Amino acid sequence: MLQCIFLLSDSGEVMLEKQLTGHRVDRSICDWFWDQSISQGDSFKPVIASPTHYLFQVVQEGITFLACTQVEMPPLMGIEFLCRVADVLSEYLGGLNEDVIKDNFVIVYELLDEMIDNGFPLTTEPNILREMIAPPNIVSKVLSVVTGNSSNVSDTLPGATGSCVPWRAADPKYANNEVYVDLVEEMDAVINRDGVLVKCEIYGEVQVNSHLSGLPDLTLSFANPSILDDVRFHPCVRFRPWESHQLLSFVPPDGEFKLMSYRVKKLKSTPIYVKPQLTSDAGKCRVNVLVGIKNDPGKTIDSITLQFQLPPCILSADLTSNHGTVNILSNKICSWSIGRIPKDKAPSLTGTLVLETELERLHVFPTFRVGFRIMGVALSGLQIDKLDLKTVPNRLYKGFRALTRAGEFEVRS
Amino acid sequence: MAPPAQSQRSPSPSQPSGKSEVSDLKLQLRQLAGSRAPGVDDSKRELFKKVISYMTVGIDVSSLFGEMVMCSATSDIVLKKMCYLYVGNYAKVNPDLALLTINFLQRDCNDEDPMIRGLALRSLCSLRVANFVEYLVGPLGSGLKDSNSYVRMVAVIGVLKLYHISASTCVDADFPSILKHLMLNDSDTQVVANCLSALQEIWSAEASTSEEASREREALISKPVIYYLLNRIREFSEWAQCLVLELVTKYVPSDSSEIFDIMNLLEDRLQHANGAVVLATIKVFLHLTLSMTDVHQQVYERIKAPLLTLVSSGSPEQSYAVLSHLHLLVMRAPYIFSSDYKHFYCQYNEPSYVKRLKLEMLTAVANESNTYEIVTELCEYAANVDIPIARESIRAVGKIALQQYDVNAIVDRLLQFLEMEKDYVTAEALVLVKDLLRKYPQWSHDCIAVVGNISSKNVQEPKAKAALIWMLGEYSQDMQDAPYILESLVENWDEEHSAEVRLHLLTAVMKCFFKRPPETQNALGTALAAGIADFHQDVHDRALFYYRILQYNVSVAERVVNPPKQAVSVFADTQSSEIKDRIFDEFNSLSVVYQKPSYMFTDKEHRGPFEFSDELGNLSIGGEAADNVVSAQRVEENDKDLLLTTSEKEETRGSSNNGSAYTAPYDGSSTSVFALQTHIESAISNPTAADHSPQASLAIDDLLGLGLPAAPAPPSPQLKLNTTAALDPSTFQHKWRQLPVALSQVCLNTQ
Repeated sequence: MLQCIFLLSDSGEVMLEKQLTGHRVDRSICDWFWDQSISQGDSFKPVIASPTHYLFQVVQEGITFLACTQVEMPPLMGIEFLCRVADVLSEYLGGLNEDVIKDNFVIVYELLDEMIDNGFPLTTEPNILREMIAPPNIVSKVLSVVTGNSSNVSDTLPGATGSCVPWRAADPKYANNEVYVDLVEEMDAVINRDGVLVKCEIYGEVQVNSHLSGLPDLTLSFANPSILDDVRFHPCVRFRPWESHQLLSFVPPDGEFKLMSYRVKKLKSTPIYVKPQLTSDAGKCRVNVLVGIKNDPGKTIDSITLQFQLPPCILSADLTSNHGTVNILSNKICSWSIGRIPKDKAPSLTGTLVLETELERLHVFPTFRVGFRIMGVALSGLQIDKLDLKTVPNRLYKGFRALTRAGEFEVRS
Repeated sequence: MAPPAQSQRSPSPSQPSGKSEVSDLKLQLRQLAGSRAPGVDDSKRELFKKVISYMTVGIDVSSLFGEMVMCSATSDIVLKKMCYLYVGNYAKVNPDLALLTINFLQRDCNDEDPMIRGLALRSLCSLRVANFVEYLVGPLGSGLKDSNSYVRMVAVIGVLKLYHISASTCVDADFPSILKHLMLNDSDTQVVANCLSALQEIWSAEASTSEEASREREALISKPVIYYLLNRIREFSEWAQCLVLELVTKYVPSDSSEIFDIMNLLEDRLQHANGAVVLATIKVFLHLTLSMTDVHQQVYERIKAPLLTLVSSGSPEQSYAVLSHLHLLVMRAPYIFSSDYKHFYCQYNEPSYVKRLKLEMLTAVANESNTYEIVTELCEYAANVDIPIARESIRAVGKIALQQYDVNAIVDRLLQFLEMEKDYVTAEALVLVKDLLRKYPQWSHDCIAVVGNISSKNVQEPKAKAALIWMLGEYSQDMQDAPYILESLVENWDEEHSAEVRLHLLTAVMKCFFKRPPETQNALGTALAAGIADFHQDVHDRALFYYRILQYNVSVAERVVNPPKQAVSVFADTQSSEIKDRIFDEFNSLSVVYQKPSYMFTDKEHRGPFEFSDELGNLSIGGEAADNVVSAQRVEENDKDLLLTTSEKEETRGSSNNGSAYTAPYDGSSTSVFALQTHIESAISNPTAADHSPQASLAIDDLLGLGLPAAPAPPSPQLKLNTTAALDPSTFQHKWRQLPVALSQVCLNTQ
């Protein structure tokens, strides 16, 4: 049972407060919270105990969502709920920041009212909420000017609240029926000091954008479902067909949603290599980093970036590259954006770091964080076989895409 | 929204805080109240918005109550919503004026639009003014029978709100039994879920006074109800599923086939996108199979993948909550997770609390097959930019070394740490090498060679210094310079601020004295003199004790201070298995995140565990009891090396916790009895502390001349007691073992 939800700005100001039960939570808890947050910095945990309440916090796009309770409850429930609130608000308001929340606080109140009552979460399905409370988009603003009816609440209740497909709004109608399926994968990898790939796995999502009339029943199959290590589904996915034949059978929500997420473990190689070399001697450290293609995925690898934090004991750094641009930011983060790897040469970053006067050698070694993006390839090897509709509407368009990007891709030196 | 007293605190510079704006609004609202002109709704809306925004930033706008209510007659739903919001906030402070709103809310409860009916009912129940309960019963009754599920859903929660305002009204109107009927028959699952949560709360509260309520509460976890809910579980919203699953954990199935039925039914919940549902399901699985060992194992295998996926997806906050649960399971059954150790590798930009949990798990899952990789990985963290994590990783290496049989490679790594020339790395490594030597004395040769090269001037941290001093004392026969290093440390006695280091120094000098008397004699005299003059009670006592035992008999002293030691086989666990079981029972609750069972943090309402751990941290230097509490509770923030804590206990209390540590050929109890005696003795002599100084100076003269036979008389009566010691070692140890437990319980009770 959550008792109260606060929204705090990035300077700790209370932007919004929603009391949920009869036990009012005093606003002063936010001051306590903010003091703690400043004093503990990075090690501030998401679930903490204040002198009077237990607090859950989630930070998204600079906004802190803070929930208070005095009774025992599943911590993940509190945190999941706050994450959903943040997601829904961000979707409604087109991103989160202090101004947008202050401008739209009435909508935020309305949303919170429908999402949680008496401290217990009700519905967090964006589709349903959108039926109850219209998002403040440009279209509705224009409409309100034209028609003079500026209510942002639809007149009807969502039909789905009573149906057995709670995620789908009542029969939408489209002139063009479209469904897009995207495979979006993130590669997490750790390469250790000796250049050994210690860990490499893919976290992937199947994102669907569906604009289909009526109550469509879809079946999606993969060519090689056996490579998946673990899967999680949107509530719309029927369990039995997956269990027996690895088929995703579902009635989709309208619009964009995440159909499934999966994990593929123990990949053998990465598409690119990064070879850092640091040799220090007499108060100076020579840096040499080489980047190149290791396993050609068949499509262009672009937006390659490399970032690392210079150790605090470094006085100055002089780094140059033969390709791309190198920037050293004020917080001692060095960022090298490479873009695409040219055909004729291997990009390299070279230079020297000057250490603090009493230091001979470097003891703290930076970790290089690599970013890249490959359009058109799912590096896990997962392939969509086909997507079927039980009743095919006229003028149906199906689209498939794939994308792999670097997740937590680290190279230690 | 905040009470008036707070209103001055938060307004930002751009926000008006004065009264003039509020009275201005009041005027404008009044003008609009009676108007029926076209477009009046739009201007009302602007005004309402202003009022609400003032309320949001914390300005007290309760004085506008009357005007707001007057303006509330409108068909515009946004205006209505803002009005409900306002009324809900200020009704409690303005009960008289709030009466005015009842009328229009009741009217709205009969509106033809179900949305308005629902909203009005919700606001009506949220007024929470005790005098109004009579107005609630009617609308609630018809709300529960409403044809629209949205209204029913709101009405059910309304009943619960009514119950909290006036329990008797709620029960008299027979609402609980209506809810029960709805719960079992309504077509809308959200209504069912709301009924369930309302009934749980109402009947739990009533159970203490009414037989029937407690029977009803029991009935909620009866087979028909549970099966009814389980069969519809897929229709429930994800949050309602959590509620149902929580209820299912309380259900006790009659036989194993029932257990398997439930688990089969719920298996697909493990693949739900909502992490809260997954964890709730896992809890059901773990609890159902608790008595079936082999199935329980399979459950661990089954839930492993979903948990690991949950950790790697989602926001850092979510993965922390999952990780805390995973941590609990890993600690319970490390061997099941030993092949997944790579999942516990730390990522560079993870918050340090996540890294810390991961390090503990890496330590736990280390076994013969993966130790090499894990230790290699951990060593990379030692060069981490994040110093606390670097320290933690070194400790983890040490802990792995202590739990492994093949420590060859690990010892080399630790010794490499000592050569890394970073003060904190050296400090941590020293502490570890000390623990390692206590368990594997056979490594002493290799270690001592490296330790001998470390200059004691580079070691500043008390724990590391204490460890170094311990090694100097223990292995003084192998280290050429030991007596001289000790001597220089003794000379700087006054600059040593940590009592722990001074205690260790005293003991080390004693040990060294027995091994190399001529070289140490000088240092011992200085140390004892400084120790006896020390302001710290423990240091003073120990110095006095050493002095008297030397006076009594040098060979007895040697046996006490420097007995042959057997390697420590197991270091005492810091958290009892009972506590761990309690936390496990409270799976999927805050207990897991705090790593304490709920009774440890919920019985004290107004002081969080945070303050309370700080306080204990301060106490821990002096009292052993407090020390025990800290280790029992395992407060994470407390940056105490747990291994060292246990070793200190051992050092200071003889054979209390680790009976196996000393298997002296002589009667083991004598150490303890001596220790006890000095305690008693000093307690007796404490009030007359003044007469210590002449005694002490006398004693030192004796010592320097080694004129022990000519001992002054006073201590002898106490020492005689020793010969007739009535306690045998086992009873004594038994008593000691009981002591800290009892003390820690007392501490807990008083908090």
